[in-house]
Amino acid sequence: MLASLAWETFKLYKRPAVWVCIGLLLVLAIGLGYAVFYFVYTYAPPASSTGLPPGVTLKDFKIALYPAAFVKYTLSFWDTLGGVFALILGVLSQGSEYGWGTIKTLYTQRPGRLALLAGKLGALSLAVLVLVLGLFGVSALSSIVAALVDAKSTVFPATDDIVKGLAAGFLIFEFWAVFGFVLATLFRQSALAIGLGLAYAIVIEGIIFRILGNVGGDTVKQVLSWFPLANTGYLSQSFGSVTPPALARTVAKPFADANHAVLVLLIYIAVFLAGSAVLARARDVTN
Amino acid sequence: MAREKVVEAVGLSKRYGTGIMAVQSLDLNVFRGEVYGFLGPNGAGKTTTLRMLLGLIRPTQGAATVVGARPGSPQSLAKVGAIVETPAFYPYLSGYDNLRVVAGLCDAPGSRIGAALDQVELTPRAKHKFSTYSMGMKQRLGVAAALLKEPELLILDEPTNGLDPQGMADMRNLIIQLGQGERTVLISSHLLNEVELMCTRVGVIQRGKMVAEGTVEELRGAARLTVRAEPVEQARALLDSLVGAENVAVREDGTLTVKMDLGHTADINRALVEAGLAVTELRATTQSLEEVFMELTGTEGGL
Repeated sequence: MLASLAWETFKLYKRPAVWVCIGLLLVLAIGLGYAVFYFVYTYAPPASSTGLPPGVTLKDFKIALYPAAFVKYTLSFWDTLGGVFALILGVLSQGSEYGWGTIKTLYTQRPGRLALLAGKLGALSLAVLVLVLGLFGVSALSSIVAALVDAKSTVFPATDDIVKGLAAGFLIFEFWAVFGFVLATLFRQSALAIGLGLAYAIVIEGIIFRILGNVGGDTVKQVLSWFPLANTGYLSQSFGSVTPPALARTVAKPFADANHAVLVLLIYIAVFLAGSAVLARARDVTN
Repeated sequence: MAREKVVEAVGLSKRYGTGIMAVQSLDLNVFRGEVYGFLGPNGAGKTTTLRMLLGLIRPTQGAATVVGARPGSPQSLAKVGAIVETPAFYPYLSGYDNLRVVAGLCDAPGSRIGAALDQVELTPRAKHKFSTYSMGMKQRLGVAAALLKEPELLILDEPTNGLDPQGMADMRNLIIQLGQGERTVLISSHLLNEVELMCTRVGVIQRGKMVAEGTVEELRGAARLTVRAEPVEQARALLDSLVGAENVAVREDGTLTVKMDLGHTADINRALVEAGLAVTELRATTQSLEEVFMELTGTEGGL
């Protein structure tokens, strides 16, 4: 299994698509996550604050862009958007093996199918770790720049909070990556796996479940609390709100706490891993 | 002394979920040191059989052992090098890096990579990306990867597919070279002249069933006598009386084919002439493997 892990890591390390995926997320994290919002909040015309409570302007939202808020801001901003990049990594890791036909090359070497699968998932987890570390790294740097430009405090959250944030980010992105991996294993290709993964995230949970959650009662919310993206949301929200203090009371509390979210996400990851193992072990390789 | 079986399949069958019976009760024995040709038209079940021997596909019925172990088990795969259909590698990696991955996974020392590349004459292009390789180079890289384990058994599925004439000749020479000594080679093909040149023993599969097996000479059978004489009906009747009707056949071009001991050719000639028949051709012919194949499978070999 160690050989499989080593060579799967080598393959991911050498693959340009992996670095494009990671690099694009990091560029977006700086550009979209910080630069765009910094300019919007800083140079917004006074009329754009219409609708906000008295005394609150868009400038007050810049609090989210400073180092003290970077962990919760990164998690709340990227738990779904960044998850899509992790999903693509998971799909690429497995789906391309079917597309190129290299699955038969792998399976006719010495390690068994499960050892190969374990190595592949281990390498994918390393790629996810790089993705998360990179995302938090560039977010931290961007927040310092924003604070220095505005002459605000450059104090970061406590180390414990940063570590917890990294762990939460890793769990959220690992869920997405394994979700992509199992879809690619199921459909034996990349295109359908990415398409259905995004459709599920955006249409099913992002739109339909959100509407149901808003109009339904507690029973509906209770049911929805067992779906994965609701729990990536609960987990990121558990780090707190990034809204100005004057708006804090208007922010709805998450329906479930972080412990529930971690448990549900771990269950999904375990089920997806088991599903991938069953599919990989039992299926004929005909392509 | 009994020869050692490197591949032994008994009653191997595969029915796909679609209901297609790809392989039916196939018995296959490949002995150590031979180059075994697995012949059949497209869709006959060759690739499915080879995939079952590599553990890529599970048989519906029957069993097989490959180099003494269950197909697809680490014990078996450690001794088997294979190319199944088109060689598949990572397009963004160089040929050399692709071999590093394969060597790493099959626990072969990295020092073998250079030797394998030399053997298939791919060293000058080893650092180039696989995606830039021609079909012939891809096939040769596939052979190099299969050789990394120093396998006891080499399974090559249609290794000359997609190659130009020069590439086919190079691949054929390489396979002949690889098949020398103790190494066993199991090669599938629908190109009969290739198999005739490379293989010591041949099995013919048609619609998932083995329809003939033996050495090339055994399959081609004994030489026959081709006779052209007029009138054909009288010549046929005379030959039937001389060698038996079961040994005489009339071909579409009006010639007669006679299975017989060619030592009696002069006697046949004399009998035909004395009966007043006009004999215009009398020659010994040997069936080509292609003719045997067409006879067995009802298809045009190699087309």
